[in-house]
This record gives sequence, C-alpha cells and structure tokens, in this order.
Amino acid sequence: MSSSLFQTLNISRQDMLSHMLDLDVTSNNLANINTAGYKASRSNFQEMLNQQLKGGVQLRTTQMLTTQGSLRDSTQPLDWAIQGGGFFNVTLPDGTIGYTRDGQFALDANRQLVNSSGYPLFWTGNIPEGTTDISINPDGTVIGLDAAGARADLGTVQLTRFPNSSGLTSYGDNIWLESDASGAAQTGAAGSENFGAISGYRVEQSNVDMGQELTRLMTLQRAFSMSTKVFEQTDLMISQAINLRKA
Amino acid sequence: MIKGLYSAVSAMLMNASRQQTLSHNIANLQTPGFKQILTTAQGFMQNQGVYSTGYTNNGSIDYIGLLGLGTQVGDEYIDFEQGALQFTENPLDLALQGNGFFSVNTPEGQRYTRDGRFLRDTDNTLVTVDGYQVLDDAGQPIQLPDGDVSVGSEGTINVNGNVVSTLGIGVFANPETELQHTEGNLFIGPVSSTGEEAPQVVQGYLETSNANPAQLTTQMVEVARSYEAAQKLVQNQDELLGKSIASLGRIG
Repeated sequence: MSSSLFQTLNISRQDMLSHMLDLDVTSNNLANINTAGYKASRSNFQEMLNQQLKGGVQLRTTQMLTTQGSLRDSTQPLDWAIQGGGFFNVTLPDGTIGYTRDGQFALDANRQLVNSSGYPLFWTGNIPEGTTDISINPDGTVIGLDAAGARADLGTVQLTRFPNSSGLTSYGDNIWLESDASGAAQTGAAGSENFGAISGYRVEQSNVDMGQELTRLMTLQRAFSMSTKVFEQTDLMISQAINLRKA
Repeated sequence: MIKGLYSAVSAMLMNASRQQTLSHNIANLQTPGFKQILTTAQGFMQNQGVYSTGYTNNGSIDYIGLLGLGTQVGDEYIDFEQGALQFTENPLDLALQGNGFFSVNTPEGQRYTRDGRFLRDTDNTLVTVDGYQVLDDAGQPIQLPDGDVSVGSEGTINVNGNVVSTLGIGVFANPETELQHTEGNLFIGPVSSTGEEAPQVVQGYLETSNANPAQLTTQMVEVARSYEAAQKLVQNQDELLGKSIASLGRIG
C-alpha cells in the first residue's frame, strides 16, 4: 500500500475546512439563542474512505434539530406558540409559502398579521378595524370582540407538518422551506394529532442549548488546532524528505 | 552499507504511512461511532550477513548471523473499544453500549455501523444520515408511523406507546476478524450474528469516536521523531558512502 505524504496533507486540509464550516453552524446557533422559535442546526461529519485510501472526514449534511423549545409567558395577545410538531405558514415576497415556528405576530398598517420578520401569516380570516381582545384557541380559531363589543369568530390558523422536518432547508429570517428531504407539506388543524396546539400569550424560545453549543465550540477549536499541528508536522516530514541529500 | 541506506528509507516510508493513519483518526475525532484504525509495523525480510575479505582461498564464505533489512507496514486493525456517549436530546439519535452494531442497507448490500444518527425519511422510513435504510431484526426496513418515538434498551421501537419494530443488531464474537472496514464508518460482516450478548440501545445519545486525542498526539510525536531519526541515518550513510568513495580510494 502506498501512502503519499501529500495525501496526508490533504486529509488535514479537509479536516480544517470541515471544522470551519462547523464553526459557522455553531456560531449561528449561538447568535440565535434568544430568537423566538429558532431551531438549532447540527453538522454531521462522516468518514471518507475510498478503496482503503484514507481521506479523513467530510461534512456530509447539516441537520435541523426539531426538539420543542420551552414556552415563555408574554403580555402580548398576538404572541402565539406551538406545542408540537407543526409550523405556521407565512407568505414570502414571491408568493410562495414559508414555514416558521416564530409566532410573535403583530398587526401591520394593512391590518395583516405579520411575524417579527415582517412576513404576513397565511390564514383564513382577517381582523376588522376596531377589533379588541384578540385571542387564539388551541385548535387555531381566532376570536375577538368587534367594535360593538360582541364576540366574533375571525378565522382559523392552520398548521403544516412534514414527514421529516429536520430536512427542511433554511430560507433565512427563521423561515424554512419544503425540500426533497423534508417530504411534502401536510396542512391540518392545530390541535389535531402530530400538528401541535397553539397557545396565545406565549413565546416559544430558541431550542439552542448554550452549554452544548459552547462545549461544541471548545472541542471544535481544539480539533482545529490539532489538525493544524498535524498539517505542520506532515509538512516538516515532506521537507525532511526533500532535504535528504545534504548539499 | 547500501543495505543500511535502504533499511533507513523503509523506516521513513513506514512512518509516512503511520502519519496518514493518525491524520485520518484525528480528522474523525468528531465522527460519531468512529472506530480508530491501528497500524502495525513488521520486520522486513532478513538476510544472512556475510563477512567477505574480497578473496577466498577455500571457497567458503563466513556468515556472521542474520541481518534485518528494515521495516514494512503491517496489517491494519480496527480498535472496537467502546466510545464515550454524548447527550444530544435528539430522539432519533441512538447509541450502543456494549459489543454490537446497527444493521443498515446500502446500495452495495447489508452493512454494520455504530453510528446511530438516524432520521425519518420522507416516506417515514428510518434511515441513517447518509440515507441508508436501518434494518429491523428480520432484515427489513423500519416504517415509523407519525408520533413520538421511544426506543427501549433492547432495541424495541415504540411510537405513541405501540411497539412498531425492533432494531436489527448484529453481535459478533470476534469483530476484529469477522468485520471488514469500508467507506463511511461502515463494516462488512456475516449476515447473522455470531455473538451472544446483545448491547444496550440508549436513546438521545451518540457514541463518540473511540480515539483519544492525547494518545494520538503522543503517537504523532513518536512518528515525527522516528521519521527524523531515519532521515538522519540516510544522510549519515550517504556521507559515509561519499567519504569512502572520495577519500579512501584516493591514491597518492
């Protein structure tokens, strides 16, 4: 079996590159530790080995971690949180639907419900002028008091779920898009099985675990410096081979 | 003298190969379920050392014992030692505690792995992060109905409280000889188990690489120094050879 030191350099290079990408993922998680409805991502490394030729490691995929974030009480009636597997549907500027767990909604100038990034919620209903005391039921029906003080049904918020939500692709702004890996979106009533129930006056907090991310940051930094050491040493070995013959 | 030159070079080649394996182990320090590769060195062939004066009266040669001609890379072994378990909270991350392997279906056939990063596929099949189907105890893919998944320590999978399947776990009496390492953390092995004691399945955890960074670093120092020593020996012998040609043979 032949083994070239240049291939060994390549293993370390690949190793450093993977750790830089992992650093991006970890810093993004840490930056979003206080973003409502944010879901942490994880880098999945895999061994590279081709016909017994060692190739080190590669970053194969990143995976969204779908664990439930804890719910925080709020004083805003339009702070809605999902407990369960579903997503809110928001309309993106190009007209397609994006999915988010960020339920901090507000009324904009056109009396549309928009989330904190400004994307309008896609739902069957509207909020007429003068409506007060808006609240949401676990099954997604929105009720309020109209201008005359009578109780009014304003519409229904439906949720969307995916066979594999960890395979959704990120759109940015805490919004996810359907992908080949996630499977087709299934829309259904909130509160029904596997869709999750909605509760008002609640905010779902980010599911990023600070302790876990900081440990990850530390290990990846050590692993990175270790691979630079390996790179240096392999380089030194190559130079020793080049200088075998004294001048 | 020339023999010595080649022995020293063989030591350099051996250490270059060790360096490659060490780099591979180091690169996979954060690959779940990774089992480190161990290298071995073997003595190269031996030869009868001969003392010859360059001429002989009686036709006999004086043998002075065996002379080693250097070293070569020996077989590689996989260290199947248990790796530490890391808490991930993810319900589809599984780890094995004890001797045994998850059974997966790749396009090249059935494979074994200790890497328990599993996902739900778009058609609700349980797959690995590389997209290979995870197999049950009958060698069939595992279908997960919608709902919360919980996995028992014997590998039974419950969804919403109903048992839906049991993980196929291969247990081998002698993994060192029965399994062959192949791409992406996978092993080729016999179709059915040869061992007895099944491992425990732990949900929400991943098994980390079993390589130890401190050990790898000290091994790397070893490689660096023996490579350097071998390089110096090559230089020395080159120098001696040069002297013997240039000075010894000088006349007048």
